[in-house]
Amino acid sequence: MRRRRVDPAAGARAGALPEAIAALSRSLPSGPSPEIFRRAKFDRPEATSALWQLLFRVLSPLPAGNALASIALEVQARLVKSALCSQGYPRLALAQLPEDGSQGSRELLLALSWLLARGPVPEQMLAQTRVPLGDEMTVCQCEALASLGPPAPHMEAEGPVDVRHVQWLMGKLRFRWRQLVSSQQEQCALLSKIHLYTRGCHSDQNLGHLSVTEAEMLRDPEGGQKVSGAGAAQNLDLAYPKGLHFSCTPGMGPRTFWNDLWLVPRLLPGDWAAPLDPGGASACSLLSPLRVLLRTLERESRRLEAVLAWRRAEPVFWQWMDTVLGTCTPEAPAAASQPTFLPWVPECGDGELELVVRELQTLEEELREAVERRRVAWEAKARGCGRGPEWSATRRASRETVEKELGALQRCWEQDSGPAPAHGPHRLVRREDGAAGDRDLRAAELIRTLRSQEACLEAVLRQLQGQCRQELARLAGALPGLIWILPPGR
Amino acid sequence: MSIVTVQLGQCGNQIGFEVFDALLSDSHSSQGLCCKRENEAYQASCKERFFSEEENGVPIARAVLVDMEPKVINQTLSKAAQSGRWKYGQHACFCQKQGSGNNWAYGYSVHGPRHEESIMNLIRKEVEKCDSFSGFFIIMSMAGGTGSGIGAFVTQNLQDQYSNSLKMNQIIWPYGTGEVIVQNYNSILTLSHLYRSSDALLVHENDAVHKICAKLMNIKQISFSDINQVLAHQLGSVFQPTYSAESSFHYRRNPLEGFKDPALYTSWLPVHAFNVWKTQRAFSKYEKSAVLVSNSQFLVKPLDMIVGKAWNMFASKAYIHQYTKFGIEEEDFLDSFTSLEQVVASYCNL
Repeated sequence: MRRRRVDPAAGARAGALPEAIAALSRSLPSGPSPEIFRRAKFDRPEATSALWQLLFRVLSPLPAGNALASIALEVQARLVKSALCSQGYPRLALAQLPEDGSQGSRELLLALSWLLARGPVPEQMLAQTRVPLGDEMTVCQCEALASLGPPAPHMEAEGPVDVRHVQWLMGKLRFRWRQLVSSQQEQCALLSKIHLYTRGCHSDQNLGHLSVTEAEMLRDPEGGQKVSGAGAAQNLDLAYPKGLHFSCTPGMGPRTFWNDLWLVPRLLPGDWAAPLDPGGASACSLLSPLRVLLRTLERESRRLEAVLAWRRAEPVFWQWMDTVLGTCTPEAPAAASQPTFLPWVPECGDGELELVVRELQTLEEELREAVERRRVAWEAKARGCGRGPEWSATRRASRETVEKELGALQRCWEQDSGPAPAHGPHRLVRREDGAAGDRDLRAAELIRTLRSQEACLEAVLRQLQGQCRQELARLAGALPGLIWILPPGR
Repeated sequence: MSIVTVQLGQCGNQIGFEVFDALLSDSHSSQGLCCKRENEAYQASCKERFFSEEENGVPIARAVLVDMEPKVINQTLSKAAQSGRWKYGQHACFCQKQGSGNNWAYGYSVHGPRHEESIMNLIRKEVEKCDSFSGFFIIMSMAGGTGSGIGAFVTQNLQDQYSNSLKMNQIIWPYGTGEVIVQNYNSILTLSHLYRSSDALLVHENDAVHKICAKLMNIKQISFSDINQVLAHQLGSVFQPTYSAESSFHYRRNPLEGFKDPALYTSWLPVHAFNVWKTQRAFSKYEKSAVLVSNSQFLVKPLDMIVGKAWNMFASKAYIHQYTKFGIEEEDFLDSFTSLEQVVASYCNL
C-alpha cells in the first residue's frame, strides 16, 4: 500500500489526534468512537465488529433503514470482503479474516483508511442520506457510469465452473432486474398521482403542487418525527424516493394513504407556508411538520460541519495511520513464489554444510524450472479456455474496443443533443401550462434525447448480434454433419 | 402487489372461478387461528392482490375472461354474481360465438390475431386499475383449441407489451386417455410456444388430481367440479399472502415462490436456492397446510409420453391438414418437437 504524503508540520499540538478522529466519526453515519480506532491500532478484538459494521455501512449500496441493522455480522463481513475485493483492495490479509468479528480490527482500520484515501467517503455518505424536499431524479449519466469504478482485477475461478450454475445466476439476475424496473414504473405512477392530487396546495406558485415529502409531512405530522436519520423508521411496501422513510402501522396498505391524501388539499387553508396566527387552531397542526423538517435540517448541518472539521484535521489522521501501517508486518506480493525454506541442518563441519546448502539450492532451481515449463505447456494447450496470457490479452483488447466505441457514441450524442443538462439532481414539477424557466428542463425533450440514444444503442446491439450469428454460422459450417440447435431466445 | 388473471377457454374460466372463490372465502373465514390484527393484514393483502374495490363494497376480481363460446363464460359470471360476496367486472370478458374446434392452429392463427386488440385492451384496463402491478396469472388447458391456442398467442403478446412483468401460466395437463384426439398436438404446440414467452409454467395433471379426489378424498363420482375445487385449493394456498424473510409486518409483494428439502438438489445449485414462505394464519379451515412448488424431473415422464404420442401421429401425418389449413406448417411442428426434446434433455441432464 502506498503511503500517503503528509504535512509534517500539521497537527503537532497534543489532542489534535482525538479531535481528528472524533470529527471523522461524526462525519460518518453511525461512526464508532475514537476509542475503537485506538484499540484497532493495537489489533484489539473488541474493536472488530464495530469496524465491520462501519465498513458495511460505507460500502453498502442500500440506503439506511431498519433492514440494514438486522443483517447478521457474518453476512455483513462477507459483503464487505467481496466489495473491497471487487474494488481492488490489495491486501490479502483481509480476505482471510474470520467473519465472526473475533479478530482483525487493525486490518479493518487499514481497509477503512484505504477507502478514505481513494475518495471523499464522508461527503458521499452525506449525499446518500440527504433528505430531498422535492421529488428528485438525476438526468445526466455520470453518476451511473462513475459508480462502476475502476475495472476489477482478474479473478481466477477456484475450479471448474458449471455453466448451468451461471445460467441459473443469470436467471436470478434477470428476475431481479425486472422487479427493479416494475418498481420504478410503479414509483413513477404514484409520483404522478401525488402531484395531481395536490395541485394548488403549494405556496410557491412556481411549484404548484406538493412533493412526496411535503405531502407526507402534512398527512402524518407526528409520524414525520421518524423521517430519515438513525433508522427507527420502517418502510412502507410501496417504492418511494430514496432517503425517505415513513412510520407505518402494521396492516396499513396503500388504500389508506390515498384516502388520507385525498383529504389533504381539502383540509389546508390556501397558503400553508405563510406565517400563521399562533393563536389560530390551524397553527398547531401545521407548525409541527415544519419543526420536524427544521430538526432534520439541523441534523444535516451538524454532519456537514463534522465533515468540514474532518477535512481540516485530516493530516493528523494520516500521520497516525502511517504509524498503524508501520506496526503491520509487510505482506509478500500476491503472485510471488513461496519463500524458500531451507531445512534446518544441525551444526556440523562448515564445509559439509555449505555443500548441502548448495545442493539443495540447485535442486530447488531445477524443480522450479520444471514447474515453469509444465505450466507454460499447459497454458498453451488451454489457450482460449479462459486462462493464460493470450486470453487475457484478448479480453483486454475487447475491453478497449468497447470503451472506444462507447466513447464515440457518447461524443456523437453530445453533438446531437445540444448543451448537456446540468449535473446533479433535479426536482420534478408537474405543470399544466407548460411554462418553464430558463434553467428548467422539459421532460419531453429529455425523453426525446433518451429515445434517440436508445435507438443508437439498439442499432449497435443488432449489429453485434448479427456479427455473432455470422460467426456461429461459420463455426457450424466448418464442422460437417453437425446440427446446431440454438436455445430459445428472448 | 396485484396480479391480473387471464382466464382462457372452458377450462381456464371454470378453474379461475374456483380459485377466486377459494381465495375470497379463505380470506373471510372466521377460523384464521390468529389474532385480529394479523387477520386484517392478511385480508387486506389478499384483497389487494386479487380484487379491486367498487363503491358498494363488493370486490371485483382482477380478471379478464376470454372464450370463443358464450356458454361457460356466462355460467362463470352468474355463479360469481350469485355468491354475493364477489363478482367479475361487467366488461371484463371477451366472448365469441364460434368456438375453436379443439384446434390449436385455429386459436393461435385465426382467433388470436383477429381479436388481439380487444383482448389486449381489456387486459390493459385491468393493469391500469392496479396501484402496484406484479404480473399476470394465465389459466389455460393444453388439450383444447381456445385455451391452448389463444393462450399461447396472448402470452406472447404479453411478453412483447409487458416485457418487464412476470407471467405465470397455469397449465392443465390433459388425461392420458383424454377425449380429444389431437390433444397431443395441441399440447406440444402450446408447451413449445409458452416455453419461449412465459416465465413460469405451473402444471397440474388431470390424472394426478383425479387420484387425489379418488384416494384421498374418497369421492365416488368425480366430476370436473371436484377436480377444479382441489386445484383451486392448491393454487389458493400457493397464492395467499406469506411473510417475507425480513419483516414480519408486511406480506410479500410478489408470490412466485419455492420450497424445502436439500437432499433433492442438483450438484450445481447452492442450498440457499430454496425459499421458505410462512404465514401464521390458517388456510381455508386447515389448521396447518403446506404447499410445495418445485421445478424437478417429475415432468419428464409425462412430457416424454406426450411428445412420443404426438410424434407417432405426426409421422403418419394424421390430422395435420387441420393445422396447415390455418397456417401452422410442418416446420412449426418440427420446431416444437425440437424445443421439447431439448427441454427433456436438459431435465435429464440435471
